[in-house]
Amino acid sequence: MRSVKEKRPAGQKQYYRRKKVCKFCVERIDVINYKDVKLLSQFVPERAKIMPRRISGVCSRHQRQLNDAIKKARNIALLPFATE
Amino acid sequence: MRNYEIMFIVNPTIPEEEIDKINAQIEGIVTTGGGKIEKIEKMGKRRLSYEIDRHREGYYVLFVIVANGDIIKECERRLRVMDPIIKYITVRTDEEARRLEKIRNYRQKRAARRDRGATAAPAQSIEEAMQ
Ligand SMILES: [Zn+2]
Repeated sequence: MRSVKEKRPAGQKQYYRRKKVCKFCVERIDVINYKDVKLLSQFVPERAKIMPRRISGVCSRHQRQLNDAIKKARNIALLPFATE
Repeated sequence: MRNYEIMFIVNPTIPEEEIDKINAQIEGIVTTGGGKIEKIEKMGKRRLSYEIDRHREGYYVLFVIVANGDIIKECERRLRVMDPIIKYITVRTDEEARRLEKIRNYRQKRAARRDRGATAAPAQSIEEAMQ
């Protein structure tokens, strides 16, 4: 496979095009519930830090709801806290 | 009166009857205070995501209720002093429910408008959209 990187002139900023869409908007998930561990854990990878929007593509409105739900889920031990 | 959820974790080593007794006590607080029980769900044993007071496992119970601040305060006070209770959380759900209703109404109106135009693909049902 050819590498796109090599063909790019030096100094030019490199863009990786990624499909960035908000899962909650697309799937019309209107309520992000703290009990839905399966859903929430998709946004709490490995070290259990909440995945940033720029990676997940979640819109700001849903990110707010997501953060809120994850906080509640952590509080009642349905999800782990971030470990350092 | 507002909608709330109370979720609590009970020491999983105590017998089931004890859990029922705890549930009955909480139910009593809610109903005596003039609130309403919508659902009591014994979610059962599950692994805790982190250790709490040496517990690695807990028995989860969920109360879905209609209550006011005084009832909630009393439930929390009681849960705090009950020995087998490892942890609890109270969550207000009416704001979210209102928001959800707004979204649904909006979607319904839009679907109706689309139906009057009667072209293109059939409008997705609200139920489908909620999946
Ligand atoms: Zn969104």
